[in-house]
Amino acid sequence: MAEELIRLKDLVKIYDTGAIKVLGLKRINLTINRGEFVAIMGKSGSGKSTLMNILGCLDRPSMGHYYLDGIDVASMTPNQLSEIRNKKIGFVFQSFNLISRTSALKNVELPMTYARVGKKARRERALKLLDRVGLLSRAQHQPNELSGGQRQRVAIARALANEPPLILADEPTGNLDTAASEEIMGLFSDLHKEGATVVVVTHEENIAEFTDRIIRFQDGLVISDETRGGEGSAV
Amino acid sequence: MLFENMSMAFSAIRVNKMRSFLTMLGIIIGIGAVISIVSIGDTMRSLFADLYKDVGVTQAYLCVGYWIDDRRMSDYFTLDDLERVREVFGDSVTYIDSAASTGAEAVNKKTKVNFDFTGIDYNYIDVQPVDMVYGRYLNEGDVLGRKKSVVMDVDSAMLLFGMENAVGQTFRTELYGNVDEFTVVGVYKKEMSPFQALMMGGRSDRGSAFIPYTLLTWPNDYFYYLRLFASEDVELNEFFDQLKAYVANIKGRNPEDMYMETAMEQMNSVDTVMGGLSAAVGGIAAISLLVGGIGIMNIMLVSVTERTREIGIRKSLGAKTRDILIQFLTESAILSACGGIIGILIGVGLVSGIGMAFGIGAVIRPSVVVLAVSFSAAVGVFFGLYPASKAAKADPIDALRYE
Repeated sequence: MAEELIRLKDLVKIYDTGAIKVLGLKRINLTINRGEFVAIMGKSGSGKSTLMNILGCLDRPSMGHYYLDGIDVASMTPNQLSEIRNKKIGFVFQSFNLISRTSALKNVELPMTYARVGKKARRERALKLLDRVGLLSRAQHQPNELSGGQRQRVAIARALANEPPLILADEPTGNLDTAASEEIMGLFSDLHKEGATVVVVTHEENIAEFTDRIIRFQDGLVISDETRGGEGSAV
Repeated sequence: MLFENMSMAFSAIRVNKMRSFLTMLGIIIGIGAVISIVSIGDTMRSLFADLYKDVGVTQAYLCVGYWIDDRRMSDYFTLDDLERVREVFGDSVTYIDSAASTGAEAVNKKTKVNFDFTGIDYNYIDVQPVDMVYGRYLNEGDVLGRKKSVVMDVDSAMLLFGMENAVGQTFRTELYGNVDEFTVVGVYKKEMSPFQALMMGGRSDRGSAFIPYTLLTWPNDYFYYLRLFASEDVELNEFFDQLKAYVANIKGRNPEDMYMETAMEQMNSVDTVMGGLSAAVGGIAAISLLVGGIGIMNIMLVSVTERTREIGIRKSLGAKTRDILIQFLTESAILSACGGIIGILIGVGLVSGIGMAFGIGAVIRPSVVVLAVSFSAAVGVFFGLYPASKAAKADPIDALRYE
């Protein structure tokens, strides 16, 4: 029924550290459809960060294919990957990764700047997005003048800037307290309800519970993949 | 995008004000020094050009070479020779005389003043204009009649007679062994800049005066030099060659046996010396630009390392290699150009200040200023290239992980 957004086919990632070769991901096959709200879980070293980097087009697989929105990104050049990241992916990081000494507004504008969106259109959209995450009044504030939760909301607004088909969040609540975490996950849920595809990488069960599908990783392999209908039947 | 890059560059420079200023300092000093030195050189050249304009750029002296051993009586010039040159070259020669001058003591009652007497023709005022304040200039009658008439400047009149209007006053002096009485027929004033006065040796204890050159054709109407002013319209080199050949011919000499000195040549040699001096000192100043450039490269490398994470974030948001490269190049170019602009302000201020202190109009060529700013920006781009490419090549994952 649903249209597929992400398809990994026999995806392998090998880390060559010189002396030894480490298999980061071992022949992963995975499909995520448009509009899904997915959590990728695993302990550190399980391969979830590696997968996150590949899904985010920050890294390329060693073997296999990664189709994002129908495009095979496995063999793209770094500049082509930049373009894909710019248009297709909205990142939300654990440590917010806002550019310091730069206003919230400018931070939200940044992906549009790289997409060569005109100054006026950029500003309008950035203000709309800040309004969407409830921070319109903080548009001119710099990251160090905002709380952790506010910073992450700015980051989410930034992730939405170019209307990417995929929102990729890497431990988005890792640096937040419980209240702020719930607020952020609530925001993701809202985005999901509005039709966005959201993939959250986390190691916290209570965070994963917000999602509809949990994919568990261990030693570079998918060990479980459960889709839940509506309310949580926690594992 | 250019505007975004520039605004990013300015905010990055503002964030580290002290560091940016110290980085710029090399460029500031370099550009300031280059501008000052080039402008001082230009000012000196223009001063000398003014000076020679005053002396007469078309002026030339001509004689049979002093190195010739078999000196003949015919090597000396006569009044007839002057007439022949005048006839042959016509309008090309605006003025000609015997280049005679002598020093003698002028005596007015008990006042004795050493005077420099310059022998001139009545139309010398056409090539060396002066403002007559009292009386008249020498006229044709004075010159042809060998009258003992004198025209002197206001200062000399004050020295000898204690008054400016010395017209009609007389004094005695001894020229070539004959003591004669001379009559002042006119007093003039000549405006000189402080620099001209300095170079022309405006000695206050010595007088100077013009007398008819026919009085100084010693001995027996012979003289050694020809002095002339060419017309402004002639091609000087060509004219001087023709003149030399003609005069050599009437004196039965080869053109290479003639000695000729022209104001133009002197001016050119002064120009060459000044130009060489400017270039040499400018070259040393340029080294400080190089050092300044290295300073910029150094600080940009530090900046790139410090901002590794920012580079990672930008890349994750879709910045391409080129975007990052241009961002950092813009930053180093602006850093350097700001230094250049401050350097120009300092250099121009310094030169104008010195000019003002000495009452000289400082010459600051706009082309030098434009060149200096462009050069400093180019220094920034050149020395920013390596740090910027280092930034642009950063791997986004490593950069994002950088603490």
